[in-house]
This record gives sequence, C-alpha cells and structure tokens, in this order.
Amino acid sequence: MECDPIVEVKDLRVYFYTYAGVVKAIDGVSFKICRGETYCLVGETGCGKSVTSRAITRLIYPPGRIVSGEIYYYPEPGKRVNIMQLSESELRRLRGEEISYIFQDPSAALDPLYVLGYQVGETMLAHKRVKSVKEGMRRAVEVLRTVLMPDPEKRASSYPHELSGGMKQRGVIGISLSNNPKLLIADEPTTALDVTIQAQLMDLLLDLKRERGLTLLLITHNLGLVAEYCDRVAVMYAGNIVEEAPVEELFEKPLHPYTQALIRAVPNPTRRIEKLEHIPGTVPNLVKPPPGCRFHPRCPKAFDRCRVEKPPLKEYSDHHKAACWLYEE
Amino acid sequence: MANLSRFLVRRLATFIPTLIGVTFMTFLIATVVPGNPAKLWAGGEKASPEVVEQIIREYRLDRPLWEQYFFFMYKLLTNTMISPVTSNYVWDMIMERLPVTIQLTLLAFIFIIILGIPLGIISALKRDTIIDAVIRIMALVGLSVPIFWLAYLLIFFFFTKYRIITLAGTPEPPYSITGIPLIDSIIMLDFGTLVDVLKRYTIPAFTLAYPSIGFVARLVRNSFLDAMSGDYVEFMDARGLPPSWKYRHILRNSFIPVITVLGLIFGALLTGAPITETIFGLPGIGKFLLDSINNYDYLGLMGGVLFVGIIYLVVNLIVDITYAIIDPRVRY
Repeated sequence: MECDPIVEVKDLRVYFYTYAGVVKAIDGVSFKICRGETYCLVGETGCGKSVTSRAITRLIYPPGRIVSGEIYYYPEPGKRVNIMQLSESELRRLRGEEISYIFQDPSAALDPLYVLGYQVGETMLAHKRVKSVKEGMRRAVEVLRTVLMPDPEKRASSYPHELSGGMKQRGVIGISLSNNPKLLIADEPTTALDVTIQAQLMDLLLDLKRERGLTLLLITHNLGLVAEYCDRVAVMYAGNIVEEAPVEELFEKPLHPYTQALIRAVPNPTRRIEKLEHIPGTVPNLVKPPPGCRFHPRCPKAFDRCRVEKPPLKEYSDHHKAACWLYEE
Repeated sequence: MANLSRFLVRRLATFIPTLIGVTFMTFLIATVVPGNPAKLWAGGEKASPEVVEQIIREYRLDRPLWEQYFFFMYKLLTNTMISPVTSNYVWDMIMERLPVTIQLTLLAFIFIIILGIPLGIISALKRDTIIDAVIRIMALVGLSVPIFWLAYLLIFFFFTKYRIITLAGTPEPPYSITGIPLIDSIIMLDFGTLVDVLKRYTIPAFTLAYPSIGFVARLVRNSFLDAMSGDYVEFMDARGLPPSWKYRHILRNSFIPVITVLGLIFGALLTGAPITETIFGLPGIGKFLLDSINNYDYLGLMGGVLFVGIIYLVVNLIVDITYAIIDPRVRY
C-alpha cells in the first residue's frame, strides 16, 4: 500500500509554559496521514493526542506554543502547503474549509445563544459558500439532512439546549462538513455521548467519509472503536508516538510494552476474568519527564538503556513502527 | 407569546404583596417611634390643641393601626394624600423631584456604560498585563472610595479651583416636552440649556457612578473571560470564523450577567441618591426621602418608599424580560 499523504507532521514539539514549569506535552512527534484512510491516535488522557490533532492547524492557545516541527498539508497529490508558514487569514481559510474538527463535547462546542442553523450558516458564510446568513440558514437544512438529523427544518431553528446530545453532535458534524473539507479530525467524537448513540454516530461518520472521499483522523481512548473503524493506528504515550501499525497488525502483534499493556487492560467479554488488568504506576509529569524512554518507570521489560536513551520510532516490519529498545540488536 | 403574557400577569400579581410589604414596614417603623406626630405636624410644643385635634381627626391617628394604614394607602394611591408638613400632595412632591433624579440617573448610567464596559473588555483582552492591573486596581479603588470624599474632592477641583461647574439651582428651560430638561434641550437643540444642565449634573452624576463603574468593569472583565474560555470559542476558531464574528459571540455570551447588573444599577439610581443629592444640593428623590425622615413626615416617606418599590419592581421585571430575549435558555 503506497501512501499518498494528506498531512505530514515532522518532529512536532508543543510546550505549555505554565507557572509550574514548561510542560513538554508533545515532544518530537512525526506521522503521516494517507489520503482516504482512517488514521487513529490512541492513548490515555493527557498523552497529547488532542494537542497533536489541534497542532495540525496550529490551533494551540497560550500558554501553549508550537516550539518546533514541520507540518505539511497536501490539498491534492504533489501540492504541498507549509502550515507553519501560513498567515492567520490563510489558516482561517484552511480551518473549516480544508481541515475541520469535531470536538468531544457537542454541548460545549455550540454557542448556546444561537440557533443551530445560524451556526451552520455562518460557518458557510465565513468561507464564502453563501452570500448571507439568511441563505446560509436555508442551506443549513440541507446540511443537517446529510448528517441524518431528524426533522432538519425544525432542528435548524432549535437552540442547542433544545437538542439531545446525539443531535447536537450531528449538528457539530454538519457544521464541520458544511464546507466540504478534505480532512476531518474527530477528537473523541462519541466520548460525551451515550453508548447507544456511539455506534450510530460512528457509522454516520464512516458513511460520510465514504461518500465524500474524506480522510479521517480519529482520536480516541477507546480500543473498541479503534478495532472497528481504523485503518492505521498510532499509540501515544506521554507526548510521544510509541507505536504505529495497521490496525490488525497492532492487535495481533503489538510490539511496544505500553501497547501490549493497553490491549491487555481491555476486558474480554467472552472470558471470565478474576481481576481487571491495569498498568501499574501513573502517567509521568511532563514538566520533568523521565529521561530516556518515557515509559520506562512503568515498563516491566525496561533495562539500562531505556533509562538513559530515548528510543527512536523505527520500522521493524512492513509499516509497523515502534519506539522501543527491546527490538534493537 | 402566551407564555409571556402569563408570565407578566404572574409577576404583576407578586407586585402587590411586595408593595404592601415595603409600605407597611415603613409605616410600622414610623409609628412605633415614640413621639406625637400630630403635635409635631401642628408646629411643636406651641401648637394649639385645636389644630392638633384637627390633625388627629383628619389623618385618623386615633384609629387602630391597620385602619390608619389602609387610609394612608388609599389616599396615597388616589393622590389625595396631603403631607401634613409641606401641605402639598405627596405624589406631586415626588413627581416634582423626579426630573432631577432622572437626569442624575441618565448621566450616571452613561458614565457607567461608556467607562465600565470598555474598561472591563480592555482588561479582559489584555489580561495579566500592566493595563489589566491598572484597571483592576482602579476598579477596586472605585468600589472602596467613600462617595462623600470623592464628591468634595471634585467640588474643590471643578468648582472652587476652576469654576467649571455650578452648584446652585436646577436649570429649567422655558419649554417642556418630557419635563426633563436634559432630554428636552436635546430635542429642541437648545445647547445653551444643555450646557447648563451638564454643568450642574455631570459631576454629581460622575460621583454617583464612580463605585458602579469599578463594579461593572470587574464584572464585564470576569464574564468576558468566562465567555472567552468556553469550548465554543475554540470550535469557532476550528471552523475558521473571522475574529470579529468570534467576539460578537463572546460579547453576547458575556453580556447576560452584565445586563442583569446594569438593570439593577439603573433601578437603584432611579430610586434616588441621598448622599450625592445632599452634597450637591440637588432636590431629587433621595433628598426627598431624607427630608421626609428629618421632618417626621412619614406619610411623605411612605409615598416615597411606595414609589421606590414600584420603580424597583418594574426595572426588575424589564431586566427579566430582557434576560429572556438575549438568553434563549431562560423560560418564563
């Protein structure tokens, strides 16, 4: 499988300058997302997956700052846009029109004082897809229909508090897709919703992706979703990608001890278990991260080298990369 | 709309017990104070017994308390109550002083809005910088400075030293449209009167506004920051909205608490400012209430309190309605 990249990130570093010190939230992350695939970022809360996804369009607020790294966006094969060099207005055009986002909590993502149709419409107006908010609000009904919103005419003139969580998230998806972006970044799109609606929304996302030839970057901590919906997976731990592999490969032959532990921690409903597996220890403090491999204090297989030297992300078999000294001769 | 009218009826119904409450309280306090009101009203120690007797009969002071109260309220509400001290109709006395209070209120409110809101927004946009610190300290000082001290400082500067303002009389133009010289002179484009009004009222209004400016600036700053830190702001960036649109959303969200407080401040200003009016010699509602107390004119005081109560309730009602207009989550 040859990769035609849509986004390429090289050696990204995002630091947060807080009173407690410099939080090295993302410390040297590199990856490529191929056109048309579903790429997943998996990891525990606070491992930097959201920050990574936001950094793709430089959506980082103070005290956070992208310290270094290269981010490229390829609107079509062979055409390269250097995101780090875009001006504010070029970035604004990019966001929503080329790359758009779905956030975790739809209740918080919508402005409570405006009807849903207005928020869809103004997004289209901002990218000059319509000539006025009025026209935007009319077009919003069609947009809401494409995300299978029940009764879209009525819902377009509903305020966010009048909608259920699932409807709100459909609205958010509608807003995000209203300008036909090429890359959709879904940051835990179903975490804030009932489990019963999760599958509905994920299926909707996949259908829309197929219909429109979208590329999807899915951020989640739910390995079930990963197994079900992803093509390639990157596992993040404490601001680093520790393993990247096609999804079957990852579940069959996880290389990194963290990935192995993560998969073991998911209970298998078909087997009786005496006690839930967990990963001993806690996520490290990123102000003073452990030297060497950041996972070594919790790693059962750690040895001397892990404590001093940081392992690079290296390809060990076809498309299967890991950052671990275990596999180094 | 049906909801709105039901809401209005329900709210107006709550006005009645509230107004009865405040006036009855005033009445009760005034009557339990030891002393002989009839004698005082008749002219003190030298009053002739016939006059005292007549006052007692006329104001039914020999009747039970509840009957007195109902009698007073009836007379007040039908504007047939004559103040035993000034021999004027109570309601007329209040109405005569109202233009002074309204002018003071309008000018003070303008100060609060044009200074308090922008200072708060600047403070929020420049948070944790020197500018923010200066504004916050000024706001704190504004809240803590005693109004009488500030008033005399301003009088010293603007009157004693530079003679920019006047401190006597109340400018009255020869014409009357609304009865409020400030508004009338603007309507008639009579700049001479307007300048006179401003010379008389600007400094008292600023004095009166000063604590509220600081208060509003702090409130605007905090609610603006609150609104700015909402997730929806990040989502607006993520969908590429221009900054001006973004700030419109933020502003509208941050204004919900501000509107409430501004409404309450407006109501409070309309009910008179005893200290400011006394210092600057302005015959407004606040001065009227004070004078009534000093003259043991509790009938005038009851009228004043009734008026203040009505203003407060009406302003509160308007605030609640405005609230529901700007925030769709609020239901009647």
